[in-house]
Amino acid sequence: MGSGSSDLAAGAAPQAMKILIAGGFGVGKTTMVDAVSEVAPLRTEEYLTRASVGVDDLEGILDKSTTTVALDFGRITISSELVVYLFGTPGQERFWFMWNDLVHGALGAVVLVDTRRLDVSFASIDFFESRGIPFVVGVNCFHGVRDRTGDEVRAALDLDPHVPLVLSDVRERTASRDLLLTLVDHLMAPAAA
Amino acid sequence: MTHWTDGLDDEVEEPLVRPYTITRGRTVPDRDDLTLITVVTTVPRPGDEAPDLRGLQPEHRVVLELCREPKAVAEIAAGLDLPVSVTKILLGDLIGSGRVTARPPLALDSESGSIDMTILEAVRNGLRKL
Repeated sequence: MGSGSSDLAAGAAPQAMKILIAGGFGVGKTTMVDAVSEVAPLRTEEYLTRASVGVDDLEGILDKSTTTVALDFGRITISSELVVYLFGTPGQERFWFMWNDLVHGALGAVVLVDTRRLDVSFASIDFFESRGIPFVVGVNCFHGVRDRTGDEVRAALDLDPHVPLVLSDVRERTASRDLLLTLVDHLMAPAAA
Repeated sequence: MTHWTDGLDDEVEEPLVRPYTITRGRTVPDRDDLTLITVVTTVPRPGDEAPDLRGLQPEHRVVLELCREPKAVAEIAAGLDLPVSVTKILLGDLIGSGRVTARPPLALDSESGSIDMTILEAVRNGLRKL
């Protein structure tokens, strides 16, 4: 009974995948999670210790051995066998970059940028490029102003030509969904493999 | 020389003590294979057998209740309102005693870092229905 029944139970559980929603502070990460998730965004926390974030970059928090980072996430049930979790990355970039459990095994990422503050998303783009994690860029025009063309933003971000860039409004469910579809298409394209 | 109590006053809002009290002082999970999206399911009791709750803390029982429907570790942590690392320690107890099962996330291909095309196809079709 023992091991046999637990194998059965494991078979009944869906398998999970995750997609990261990244970008700097205030670019609309949680808004996007909220727009496409089937549940209201959930919040969870993790303690990251000196050991997990490295000791070099801790100026200013030297007397603290542990820091708490919070992330919002949502879920999309694809089928009884497949669930996609969307993790909006925490604001403090230098911490989540070292959060291996968050980053490891991600299918890919959507990096949101705000044309008024492109610089806050540079670090995310650098990070995914250096880790070889496929990503797409969503230019969030939620303030209703498309003051830059896609090409201008691409040039300002110095984006690789093969990385898709989409003008979007992540408050809209369909726009957020289309960003995720752009990522999946990118993952299926031969160049991304 | 600093004393270990230095600065504790500043951290009243984020007490580190209590969560690890729940784990009886353990700060590292027994198992390192649990991820944020490992899916955990409570093993159903056969028939109408009463659940065996001996040795369980309230948080363990909450997990058993939550995971009657499969839940990812991140969801369980959110449900318990506990940090992920603390949640993983509690889950390790329940896996060890056979009360829950854990399903690892879909593995990416170790060489290409990509995922099975048929699965991506299923994800694409699922998203289109949103």
